[in-house]
Amino acid sequence: MQRKLQLVGLVLLAYSSYSCSEVIFSQTANASALAHQWTMLNVLPQAAGLTVSNVIYKYRVEKIAADPMVVAVQNENANGSGYIFRSVDDWSGVPGNNISKVVPVGAIPIDAWGDGSIEVTGKGTVEDPSVVYTYRYDTCFIPTPDCPGYESPLDLSMVPVFVYEDPLEDAMVKQALELQELQEEEERIIQEEEEEKETLEKILGGVNSTLLVADSQALYDSMFAMGGIPVTYYTSIPGGVYTEVLKYNSSRMPDNKNARRVGLATQLKHEEMVNSQYDK
Amino acid sequence: MFKQMLVAGAILAALPIGANALDAPIMGSVQSKCSITTDTPGIYGNPTPSMLSTAATDGGIEPVIRFDVISADYYKAVIATPQDFSSSPTLTDTVVWNGTVAVAEVSDPLMSGYDAAKRVYNNVSEFDLTVAGTTWFSITSDASYGFDKSWPAGNYNAIVSAECIAL
Repeated sequence: MQRKLQLVGLVLLAYSSYSCSEVIFSQTANASALAHQWTMLNVLPQAAGLTVSNVIYKYRVEKIAADPMVVAVQNENANGSGYIFRSVDDWSGVPGNNISKVVPVGAIPIDAWGDGSIEVTGKGTVEDPSVVYTYRYDTCFIPTPDCPGYESPLDLSMVPVFVYEDPLEDAMVKQALELQELQEEEERIIQEEEEEKETLEKILGGVNSTLLVADSQALYDSMFAMGGIPVTYYTSIPGGVYTEVLKYNSSRMPDNKNARRVGLATQLKHEEMVNSQYDK
Repeated sequence: MFKQMLVAGAILAALPIGANALDAPIMGSVQSKCSITTDTPGIYGNPTPSMLSTAATDGGIEPVIRFDVISADYYKAVIATPQDFSSSPTLTDTVVWNGTVAVAEVSDPLMSGYDAAKRVYNNVSEFDLTVAGTTWFSITSDASYGFDKSWPAGNYNAIVSAECIAL
């Protein structure tokens, strides 16, 4: 019984460790162990989603203090020109020594890291170099069935086959469309008939108005002959701007003192009339 | 004089009786911008019966002390090599001490100049930390007992004193 429990425990432990997403933090071996140039393909593990966080390098400089010397530890930019990482140490005028540097680079994706090298300019040598990259990646960056929250891709065989049916081919839709077409045809005929009728009315209206105009003209001519039409009816007034010619100069209008008594009497009468409505 | 006393009296009279007073505190703390850590503890080798030495060639390990400064030109490193054992068997003869301090590793090439500019007196070496960053100092220490006299058996401990002193 105890052995069975142990086995169950082991299985559960294995399952839990197997199905867990894990973020790996690690560092590479010395990239410059063999030469001052290296290929990143052989240095970084080819894991999806891997990013490099720091470059840690060390080396010893052998030189005469007065000599000029510049050392650059660098990586080419694999996605473009120039360098994705470059740290320059100017040893000009100082004696050689051991140098140790940790250079944080943020989180540069693995794809951007091109070939690395230690470049020396001037007089002096770089001895015992060590270039190490620290990196991190998520084992579930590309989800697998073992990863938590994994959603299996859609199985196309499980998708029901959808047969397309043209709704215009449906019998009821066809019937409705035919009915609509008939109605539209009828409406169109009615509209044409109405338009023809309106045209006829216009023609007839034109004839009538012509006749009316002729009658009016005859009547006008006879009245004109009799001189019964005022001159202003047919005399045209020349156009233009007619400015105001009358002016009233404002001045103070004095009160009529003689009318004061009348005004007072009127006011008294008015008040008497107003008050009379309350007297019962 | 009388006038001054009169003015002072008038000012005092103008002050309200029982006025409150408040002392507002101002607090602050300063974190050191220089830190010292022991990078490598040293070990004395015993190449000859009368010699204790940290030199690798003598079977010892040189201690390494690391100085980190955030700001340049604000501190100096003062490192004193041992001149006595902090613990040892009973010694009945004189001990002759020798010690050196040197820059072992730098985080900036300009720190390589520290060695040339260091000041040495007695058993003390002083380095002006003129560059921000990390400097590792290695210390050598050796002790000779009497005149070619054998060290008594036992454990010997000595201490390297390292200080970061604000300039």
